[in-house]
Amino acid sequence: MANEEVLRLENISKSFGGVKALNNVSLSLAKKKIVGLIGPNGAGKSTLFNVVTSFYKPDQGRVFLEGRCITGVTPYKICRKGIGRTFQLVKTFTSMTAYENVVVGALYGHKLRGKDAQKSAMEALELVDLADKKDVVTSHMTLSDRRLLEVARALASMPIVVLLDEPMAGLNPTEIVKMLQIINRAREERDMGILWVEHKVDAVFHLCDHVAVLDYGVKIAEDTPENVAHDTKVIEAYLGKEAVKR
Amino acid sequence: MSKQPFLSGKKGVLGVILLIIFLSALPIVLEAEESYFIYFLYISFIYITVAQGWNLVAGYAGQVSLGQHAFFGIGAYVTAMSWDAGLTGYLDPVAMFSSGAIAALLAVIIGLPLLGKLRDDYFALGTLGFAEILRVVFIQGKDITGGPIGIMLPSGRYAGMTPYYYISLGIAVLTLVCIWFLIRSRFGLGFVAIREDEQAAEANGIPLLRSKILAFSIGAFFTGLCGSLTAYYSFHIHPGGVFTLTWGLLPLLMTILGGIGTFWGPVIGAVLLAGVFELANMWMPELHTLISGLFIVLVTMFMPNGVVSLVKGGDGPPFLYRIGPFRSLFGQSNTGRVSDGAYENGAENTIQR
Ligand SMILES: Nc1ncnc2c1ncn2[C@@H]1O[C@H](COP(=O)(O)OP(=O)(O)O)[C@@H](O)[C@H]1O
Ligand SMILES: [Mg+2]
Repeated sequence: MANEEVLRLENISKSFGGVKALNNVSLSLAKKKIVGLIGPNGAGKSTLFNVVTSFYKPDQGRVFLEGRCITGVTPYKICRKGIGRTFQLVKTFTSMTAYENVVVGALYGHKLRGKDAQKSAMEALELVDLADKKDVVTSHMTLSDRRLLEVARALASMPIVVLLDEPMAGLNPTEIVKMLQIINRAREERDMGILWVEHKVDAVFHLCDHVAVLDYGVKIAEDTPENVAHDTKVIEAYLGKEAVKR
Repeated sequence: MSKQPFLSGKKGVLGVILLIIFLSALPIVLEAEESYFIYFLYISFIYITVAQGWNLVAGYAGQVSLGQHAFFGIGAYVTAMSWDAGLTGYLDPVAMFSSGAIAALLAVIIGLPLLGKLRDDYFALGTLGFAEILRVVFIQGKDITGGPIGIMLPSGRYAGMTPYYYISLGIAVLTLVCIWFLIRSRFGLGFVAIREDEQAAEANGIPLLRSKILAFSIGAFFTGLCGSLTAYYSFHIHPGGVFTLTWGLLPLLMTILGGIGTFWGPVIGAVLLAGVFELANMWMPELHTLISGLFIVLVTMFMPNGVVSLVKGGDGPPFLYRIGPFRSLFGQSNTGRVSDGAYENGAENTIQR
């Protein structure tokens, strides 16, 4: 039970013209775990998310959710099967209120109806501390609140796996601490695995059980945060060869 | 700060019911056969319906169709051809329903490739092209469609203005009631989600194509009903008359003028523009188009969110009624963090998409 695998990626490759955005990437995620996915800009992190959620079709490789292959299933069905996600550039429904945004996840992502959908949406809003802002129209919310709202919307669809694409991007230090608390709370309260892409490396290292490092579409390392931080290949990828010599 | 939207709550419902009773009594009071006003309301009800049909697909679901005249024309032809063939009769409800249903079916068939493959401007052009092709097909249809001359119907059956008035009122009320409930249901919420962000909608479990086709075909159904009634009214159906781009552009103009993506916008816009058309036509027939055009330009310049924005002192949100099935049905009060202008972006997006 302790290591119940929920998501497995097998040998995923994806090219755009000449660019190999993903090269034979494999990855595994277990329930109640957080796997951090880091790597320089353009390493292929968002592309990996888009492959998992079927926005892109991989050239090669397969995606398994709880042991069942879901490669090629349309994106809306991927969500209904249990993969929720957020976007690097926030994508909330701007003319809707916070509650309306989140109830979309409950109604469509998990096919809940009536009171059940309402309950699921409110629980998700409470989990991210946005319950008191439920009637605020999204276009009037701060970036930080909209990022939290995206998390809530994903949670309302009762996911088994949540993919967070740079949830800290553009947030100030206070907001980052808040987001860290929320991600941790989500892990504790929900039976799911979290795959978390982040540029703010110290933030991910703080919470995650494992870190995978992508560089030019290749997974160059995967280990505990401590070991990854001292991995020469990783330091090279981030800071260049010079840094390793010193 | 409470933001009770216009015409909502128990009072609003009562007001709407009283208005319908008043409109129903008008032909008795006004001498329907003589009254120009009755004709004006008849044509306004048709405009309201066609505009609201377009508003559903373009204003709520964000898919700008420029081919609504295809559905209007198909509705008219189904009615005319089935009557001509002796399958249905005069002012026959079966014919009218079939006209709407076939228009809706056509929307499904054409929506699969157009909504499935095309986006934004390309979808708009696709619908326009489709409607033009349909017009040519009906011109070239020889004996089946009556060619460019079309179909003559037995005008001796004309039963006076009163039935037309009531049927058009019925269609408009039916349309408004259906769309009222639709936009408050999860379907309406899905439409708006798609309009705001397709990727996010899809990532949250909304079937894109199915939802878009639903909005497109419901709009087509009501537009087809109007085409059907128009066939009964004019007794002469020809491609240049019912497949004219006018029926594709009027709902767009009226809805944008009144307030796109709002419930009352198309209603207000349709009545207003019908009024301007008729008045300009009466007073200065030679300047009719010029005056109507000037009016449209001025309204869009000074009220970019449509006339409906006047109702709440100009700061009303584009959804007069907040959508969402689980808020109280008649517009809960809104947390008052609405600043001026913030919605203009939303309205612009809707049009651009
Ligand atoms: N839709 C696309 N079309 C073409 N190239 C793309 C597309 N999406 C991503 N890429 C390319 O793939 C590489 C990886 O991009 P991305 O996954 O966004 O990186 P990351 O999220 O790690 O910063 C980049 O070189 C990017 O330019
Ligand atoms: Mg990225």
